[in-house]
Amino acid sequence: MNLILDTTQEHLGKRIVEELLRSGKRQTEFERIDTTTMQISHCIGCNHCWLKTPGICSIKDDYAPILKKMSGAGQVWFVSDTRFGFLSYQTKNIVDRVLPLATMNLKFKDGQMRHVMRYDHQPDFGIVFAGDGDRDYLNWWCQRMALNFGSRSLGVFHVEQMQEAIKCMWS
Amino acid sequence: MHVVMINGSPRIEKYSNTDKIISSFGKGLLERGASFERYAISERRSWDAIREAYIKNEEILIALPLFVECVPGLLLEFLETLPKKDDRTRLSFILQSGFAEGSQLRCGERFLEKLPEYLGVCYGGCLVKGDNFGIRLLDAAGQEKATKPYRAMGALFAEGDGFFRTEAKKFTGPEYFPLPLRVLMQMVFKTIAKKRFQQAAASWGCDTPLDAKAWE
Repeated sequence: MNLILDTTQEHLGKRIVEELLRSGKRQTEFERIDTTTMQISHCIGCNHCWLKTPGICSIKDDYAPILKKMSGAGQVWFVSDTRFGFLSYQTKNIVDRVLPLATMNLKFKDGQMRHVMRYDHQPDFGIVFAGDGDRDYLNWWCQRMALNFGSRSLGVFHVEQMQEAIKCMWS
Repeated sequence: MHVVMINGSPRIEKYSNTDKIISSFGKGLLERGASFERYAISERRSWDAIREAYIKNEEILIALPLFVECVPGLLLEFLETLPKKDDRTRLSFILQSGFAEGSQLRCGERFLEKLPEYLGVCYGGCLVKGDNFGIRLLDAAGQEKATKPYRAMGALFAEGDGFFRTEAKKFTGPEYFPLPLRVLMQMVFKTIAKKRFQQAAASWGCDTPLDAKAWE
């Protein structure tokens, strides 16, 4: 199952879902979550998910079910507005709170320190963005972010290049 | 020189590594005759005051922890509330992280390099340094010792060249650790470090293994 996390004010994830259905994908193969009406706080950096309640975020809001779905998904796509050439803060809040999927423990991988992941399966990550995002930067960021979580980047696409993103969604 | 220092960490000041770094940096500023005022975005009710200080002053320094390769979501939200200014204002950064290698912070640094342009102000450079995760876990003397190098950087900053001087660039330390050191550290990670982390967790009241699979 692939997950589409839509934080955009224009609910652009709906357009992606329509395209997916049009291209023959079944509704059971993916899930879109519109987070715009959900209560999702920023990460407060308490480190409880590493050192006090391993794997569990201390913030009690609408995020926990999303994280659980992310953990089990094959792919996670962030559909995001952009500011300062980067993701919106709403999307970044969701990303920052992925930390319970990693543990406090460390290792070296490809010459750099990484946290040891908590679960055996890791989702891959992709981005579909709207607005004046800096695609080169977002690509670099997505690759780095995926590296940190033991997975790979699926790519970064402007919403007007949605068809390209959709090709990657079941590649 | 009068510097507005903004702690961009979402963590409350008492437990904020960035807060301890700012304190040490501030001592360096004072040594060289500069002054400063400091704020923290972790308290939303102070955002109006921070914005006002940002508007009124021309030397702004944001210190922040790296959160997933870039700035924390809460800081992004705060930045959205800032008005555009002109290039008489200089915006500089201290970017710190838990991971020790300089290469780990470059993606975040790139974002910060470009940010001033979006805000209409000029860029004063970015002081980049890792290996700060444990500051909050140290006692007062340990925190003083761990953050002492930032005092020298505060003194350097007071001389007016932002973070563009060689001393500031060298402050980062190694971009990557050499292979023999990595091999040694890997052994430490699997043994002593793992034990220490579990001990730290125990002191927080945790008796669960740190690699517990919460959902399985």
